[in-house]
Amino acid sequence: MASNIKYPESTARWFIEGDKLCLITKVDSSGNTRTSARKQWKAISEAVTDGILLHYYAEPNSVKSLNDDIDLDNTMHLALVDYVKKCLYMDKSGTSVDGNVAAAAMQMSRMHEKNFNDAVIRYGMKKRDKTGGSRVLKSISLR
Amino acid sequence: MAVHKISVKQIVSRVRQVFPDAPESYIFNLINDALVQIGMYSTKPVQSKMSTVAGQMWYKIGDGAEDSSENALEANKVFRVDLMDNSDDYIQIPRLIDKNILLMDADSSESALITPDEE
Repeated sequence: MASNIKYPESTARWFIEGDKLCLITKVDSSGNTRTSARKQWKAISEAVTDGILLHYYAEPNSVKSLNDDIDLDNTMHLALVDYVKKCLYMDKSGTSVDGNVAAAAMQMSRMHEKNFNDAVIRYGMKKRDKTGGSRVLKSISLR
Repeated sequence: MAVHKISVKQIVSRVRQVFPDAPESYIFNLINDALVQIGMYSTKPVQSKMSTVAGQMWYKIGDGAEDSSENALEANKVFRVDLMDNSDDYIQIPRLIDKNILLMDADSSESALITPDEE
């Protein structure tokens, strides 16, 4: 069922509060602009199946069995291994009775933590970005 | 040529080169923790559709939320919202920066409102 809203770009707005999306419009169920100035922006007045198209970054699927594939771009696989090793070395450092082993494990933990942070936070966009080619500066037309 | 994939089994075997005694369930937990961490940095762009409800201002997009096909949304960051127009086309609508709107709908149809816990 199509909506009665002719120009959503000028008659609808959205914002997010916590984990909820707020959708408001200034048209009634017939698509006419509400006349009340104070109460113009209200909840949408019509039920439309598939009326909203959301674009968002989603969480990767969690893993449950040994044969599951990792739901990430393969550029991020090494970072994932780094995260797991970082945690395991940290555990080893905390449980080791030998001070030298604990210190070495802590150093390894920090190395893997740095690798993870570099891959995900520092250079994450570069790794995931699918845009290629050189950048071109387009000059304005003087005509 | 196939794209290189990695399974949980391969990760477990890599980790066990260094930590042969690491329990499998613990490695599973760490992998899932890592997926949550990595998921915070725009790794998985997704589009999904939701239905509008007459008179409903708030729509759930949290962990338990579902789209109109009853698939889990699993949304981390919403970067664009489109609304269907009268020609069945989706048109981008602007995000409101100032959230201090005058009218707030809070009647019984507001299923996404959170009410205080009952004692």
